[in-house]
Amino acid sequence: MHFYVDPNSGVPIFRQLMDQVKLQIASGTLRPGDELPSIRSLSIPLGVNPMTISKAYNLLVHDQVLERRPGRPLVVAELDESDLDTRRIERLQEILRPAVELVRQLDLDAEVAVVLLRDMLAGNETGFGSDRIEED
Amino acid sequence: MSVLELRNVYRGYGAQDVLADVSLKVERGEVIGLLGRNGAGKTTLIRLVMGMLGPERGQVTVFDADPRQDPLATKRRIGYVAEDQELPPFLKVRDVVAMYRQLYAGWDAEFATNLATRFELPPDRKVKDLSRGQARQVALLCAVSHRPELLVLDEPAGGLDPAARREFLETSIQLLNDTGTTILFSSHYMGDVERMASRLIMIHERQKWIDSDVDAIREGYCLAVLPADGSCDNDRLLSIPTCLCARRRGDALHAVFELDPAACTRELEERGIEPGSQCRTINLEEMFIELAGRES
Repeated sequence: MHFYVDPNSGVPIFRQLMDQVKLQIASGTLRPGDELPSIRSLSIPLGVNPMTISKAYNLLVHDQVLERRPGRPLVVAELDESDLDTRRIERLQEILRPAVELVRQLDLDAEVAVVLLRDMLAGNETGFGSDRIEED
Repeated sequence: MSVLELRNVYRGYGAQDVLADVSLKVERGEVIGLLGRNGAGKTTLIRLVMGMLGPERGQVTVFDADPRQDPLATKRRIGYVAEDQELPPFLKVRDVVAMYRQLYAGWDAEFATNLATRFELPPDRKVKDLSRGQARQVALLCAVSHRPELLVLDEPAGGLDPAARREFLETSIQLLNDTGTTILFSSHYMGDVERMASRLIMIHERQKWIDSDVDAIREGYCLAVLPADGSCDNDRLLSIPTCLCARRRGDALHAVFELDPAACTRELEERGIEPGSQCRTINLEEMFIELAGRES
């Protein structure tokens, strides 16, 4: 399990950690029952206030992503396949939300954004233009 | 019980006001990052807490007592590294540590030894022959080995290379882990402040300008960038209650709002200030430059 923090990003450190745990669960790197590192063992190598890690863990427990067991390390909560799909979709939603905000700020047509995303998923980022939409 | 409190404190030097009407309260376990430009009054505030200066008006209490009433009793509970910490230049490192050990009843010799090993301090070298980074590490070791309830660090990272800064940071974090020490530190390294601080206090123009949970800054403030094409000006932006500062930067207007980006976009739209404006989250460094910098 690997965590990192970027203090210069606009995203609070506790949220960066929450996102990384969720991403590792969605991608299968972390599986139900896997133990999370202790706050103490994580705070020194990450160079982060232990309260920040505690905050991230508590919120993940609250979201039922992690499970607390008395006197034992935190573990990844059990979840069934449909939960996993939901989480994958939730992760994607979180990532896309700022992009949607940007589309609005740039006053771009929603269709342009959708076509761009489809092209990028197909591995084709070049040759994008408004004429392409008409072709589609 | 609060660890330290300033109530309507005024302090200047001669006719020069440095702090005017500053109030703040720090609870146990908080880690306060103190920000401000050079000369903003950070060191003055720290010296007031340490009882090295008294307020001209107002009240300073540390552990519910005036730090100048019983300075020895107060200082036993505090660890302090000054910005320009002087150690006896002709003493060897081991003798400096032995001297501090005599001063403090609660000295944790094992912790001191661990730190000396981690910092790779040469015990037989004289203070005058140490690098600047090593001298600060000795000062830190002496400040924390009695396991203080309050640790006060004035520019702890000043003059340190990134690796030594990181050691400093990790040592402070170890103290937080072990004993829940309350920490007050001033710094110009915003990355360190984001990593360490739970709360951020910014001193500007003699006043406390920002006093906020660190996470709230990133989620509750944003920067709006507008074209400076005459359609809007600083005064109009500043008339919005949530606008903290607005100024011209090159050919754009920059304004910091106490709103998240989406709410800020709505606020600007509602006021008819929309064309071309962008609102985005802001990190501490940008926030500092926007708030404390000048027009350009």
